[in-house]
Amino acid sequence: MIMKISMKKRQNLTGWAVLTPAVILIVVMNFVPLFRAFLMSFQTGRTGKMTFAGITNYTRVLQDSRAADALKITVEYVVVTVPVIIALALIMAVLLNDPRLKLKGIYRTCIFVPAAVSMVASAVIFRSLFAADGFVNSILVGLGILQNGYNFLGHPTSARIILMIVRVWKMLGYQMIFFLAGLQSIDSGIYEAAKIDGATSLQQFFKITVPMLKPTMVFAFVMSINAAIQVYDESVNLTNGGPGNATMPIAHYIYNTAFAGVPNFGYACALSMIILVVVGTITLIQMKVGDRRE
Amino acid sequence: MRKRLMALCLAVVMVMGILAGCGSDKDNGKTNDGKDKNAETVNKLTVWCWDPAFNINAMNVAADIYKKDHPDFEMEVVEISSADIIQKLSTSTSAGNTADVLPDIILFDDGLIAQEVLSYPDVFMDLTDSGIDFSEFSEGKVAASVVDGKNYGVPFDSGAAIAAYRVDILKEAGYTIEDLTDITWSEFIKIGKDVKQKTGKALLNGQSGYNQITVMLTSCGGSYFDEDGKLNMSDNKKVKRVSELYLEMLEAGVFQEETGWDTYIGNLNNGNVAGAMNGCWIMSSIQAAADQSGLWAITNVPKVDGVDGATNYSSQGGSTWTITTECDNPELAIDFFKSTFAGSKEFYDKILETSAISTWIPAGESETYQQESEFFGGQKVYATIVDFTAKIPSCVMGAYMGTARTAHMTAVTNVAYSGADLDEELAAAEETVAFEMGQ
Amino acid sequence: MNKTKYWIGRGIKNIILIICSLFCVFPLVWVLIASTNASVDIVRGVLVPGKHLLENLKSIVEHYDLLGASWNTIKYSAVTTIASIIVCSVAGYGFEVYHDKWKDRLFGALMITMMIPFVSTMLPIYQTYAKLGLLNTTLGFILPSVSTVFTIMLFRQNSRSFPKDIIEAARIDGETELGIFFKMYVPTMKATYAAAATITFMNAWNNYMWARLIMSDNRAQTLPMLISNMTTGHYIDYGMLMLAVLISTLPTLIVFFALQRSFVEGMTGAVKG
Repeated sequence: MIMKISMKKRQNLTGWAVLTPAVILIVVMNFVPLFRAFLMSFQTGRTGKMTFAGITNYTRVLQDSRAADALKITVEYVVVTVPVIIALALIMAVLLNDPRLKLKGIYRTCIFVPAAVSMVASAVIFRSLFAADGFVNSILVGLGILQNGYNFLGHPTSARIILMIVRVWKMLGYQMIFFLAGLQSIDSGIYEAAKIDGATSLQQFFKITVPMLKPTMVFAFVMSINAAIQVYDESVNLTNGGPGNATMPIAHYIYNTAFAGVPNFGYACALSMIILVVVGTITLIQMKVGDRRE
Repeated sequence: MRKRLMALCLAVVMVMGILAGCGSDKDNGKTNDGKDKNAETVNKLTVWCWDPAFNINAMNVAADIYKKDHPDFEMEVVEISSADIIQKLSTSTSAGNTADVLPDIILFDDGLIAQEVLSYPDVFMDLTDSGIDFSEFSEGKVAASVVDGKNYGVPFDSGAAIAAYRVDILKEAGYTIEDLTDITWSEFIKIGKDVKQKTGKALLNGQSGYNQITVMLTSCGGSYFDEDGKLNMSDNKKVKRVSELYLEMLEAGVFQEETGWDTYIGNLNNGNVAGAMNGCWIMSSIQAAADQSGLWAITNVPKVDGVDGATNYSSQGGSTWTITTECDNPELAIDFFKSTFAGSKEFYDKILETSAISTWIPAGESETYQQESEFFGGQKVYATIVDFTAKIPSCVMGAYMGTARTAHMTAVTNVAYSGADLDEELAAAEETVAFEMGQ
Repeated sequence: MNKTKYWIGRGIKNIILIICSLFCVFPLVWVLIASTNASVDIVRGVLVPGKHLLENLKSIVEHYDLLGASWNTIKYSAVTTIASIIVCSVAGYGFEVYHDKWKDRLFGALMITMMIPFVSTMLPIYQTYAKLGLLNTTLGFILPSVSTVFTIMLFRQNSRSFPKDIIEAARIDGETELGIFFKMYVPTMKATYAAAATITFMNAWNNYMWARLIMSDNRAQTLPMLISNMTTGHYIDYGMLMLAVLISTLPTLIVFFALQRSFVEGMTGAVKG
């Protein structure tokens, strides 16, 4: 008996020991800097010579019309891209999960390709494709749809749409792999039984696939919303926020506040803290909603 | 068993350490050579600049010339974009490690230099009493790097604005280069509309309107700040007039906005636009399309009609070298500049082929500057630009110049694409800049 | 009747997949073609393969330290990947196999890191790096991405399918904890390792914003930094640029292609709630 307890204890210690390196790294690389950013959010002044400023940075946020615009752009971006990516990825995954389908590996690789292209490279590609005389315009003019090339990235609305397209293009493959993995863990016997009962493919999709994939979908939603809110490298590289500030999401605005022009790091930190709270709240709500229906 | 576990953990840490260490030690060693405080390596200068075909090339040519008399001299040029330089200034001053990060010499765009010197006052070396003869440089150029009466920079290339046009496209529309010389913007827009209608091509393009608006505003001596450094955008005749002209041009398709630098240059090179208007350094981009040799000609820029102090001359970009206070051997750096950028005709002759036009007056007197350019149809382009350089009006600069320009551009964009009211947008832009200045 | 319906169904399915694949793969095919053309032809929109591939390669090698940047990128990514799968697999194993109330709570707390915007922690990390001399180093590059909650979670969730009674049986047979991990766990979790390695490798390979923040030395440049530098000059050689884009993308594609089957399988655990 005593032997057994000590064995348990020993195992428990082993457990803690193997966790330690990973946990220490996460704490040092995430929580410690976060705490320091939190402290800096109460400071103001030039980097290197910051002084305590109380909550002025936070009250400043309320008067910042550019932050409000950036937030609006972010919300729009999230609301459009996340459902589109998830819906498309789900459709692709279901189609690819068909055991009779040929050339599966090729389709899968093709759809995954964009995820392997770095953002810097993607930006170069899309800027060229959508340039006023780029490939897309040549096609549209060639087909007689447009008379002259349209400067897609030069107009606010179309630039925002292209940023969304790039996001869908890049994330579709990742998301699809998630759903494929989820689908493969569904017992194919269920589908067989449904078929015998005369269920159509559409019925099978909504009555079996969707409910069975629910945990995956909740997870996918949480992850993609989190990631989309924090997006900045896409706009930094592709449009640099322009034209004007029309494609500058909040994280990009924070990045510029901290690192471009005349830097104001204290204020950037205060903005980040607000994002953290927003993301945290959204995640919590999603988790709760996801749990309840289960 | 616990021992074994300890061993496992240790092993993991060690593997990481070795994997990372082998790389990092080497990197570290190398980083240190660049910044070594030992007397042996003090013959080396590290430089930050960004264009292999232009300023990096100039630095390397200068280094070769300097090496002739100083065989031990070494130079390391790091290719780093202007945006990254600004980011690194921000991060290294905040972390207090400027000594490890910053090089000896940094290149800045003339439009940014005052902003950076004011933002990071301890980073740049005061060169007023360095012995470099600033009176040998063109006056307006030197002014860009003077802050509070002190010289912080060694001027490099001219930013004198030129208007370059495709003579063949102009001819197709029935115009010659003379028709576009000494004109006003209103006349320019009229011609532009005609060219657009006859050839389908815009007269100009640009990476948003950022450079274009600077060219226009500078040509009439305009600024976002008055002499006392007070911000004024909403009640500023010059800013308003320039915005109106730019918007008219954009609306009529005479100016084509591009999103990226790459597409701007791309469209220029493939003949999709009939001209280019920018700092004279744009010639190096224009000449990249070797097949268009003989089809181009340059002239001065249009004048902003309806405001005081309007001229046909302006500047945009151009750049200036600064020496950082982290430089271990300032005497070497100063001597290097004295023997090259501020004292060698040979040097300026050698880099002329890259369209780096000197602001050091003696260089302009050199024979090389009188040569005719085959690409520009036999024009004496270099001599012309040296002449332009002397006529550029001076403008008030400020620490928030970049912020103000961006805000102005945003206002114009909002008017152009969202149908907003110009006065309201300019007022909003002023508020934005004031908001940033009030941090 | 039923048969035609079946074939129509399959046809539609394939058409959807082909359209989607084209949408995804087209930009890269365009890059592939562009990299064989001269810069002038690319901006003119030429869409047939040219003969400029070698010249483009020559320009890169002449103007840029392609080998150095490739070696750096390979080094940073490989070290990140190896370190990450070691640290995270051990931790994931620990969180699941030795799990108790406290470890579960700890894991929950770690999940918060997914919500921290990286922009906000960049500068504090940089400041620490400056003090410790980690700028321009491989260690500095890898540290933020070695231990991530996502990878730990991947291993933790996948470990659930690893039968606990086998562990018990092995323990009774006198096998050490270490032995169980290496002899039994690692071989059965190959797919998870493949998935974790693919994701970590790709993220590290394409990481630009972090590299550009902490690297200021010519010799520490990565491929994305090299590409970014190519787009800022007075003249842009598109042929060279597109070839660089292609070169920077190929390795991640190869890694994915080689590991794709295990990759999907390995992700399965992650999505099982």
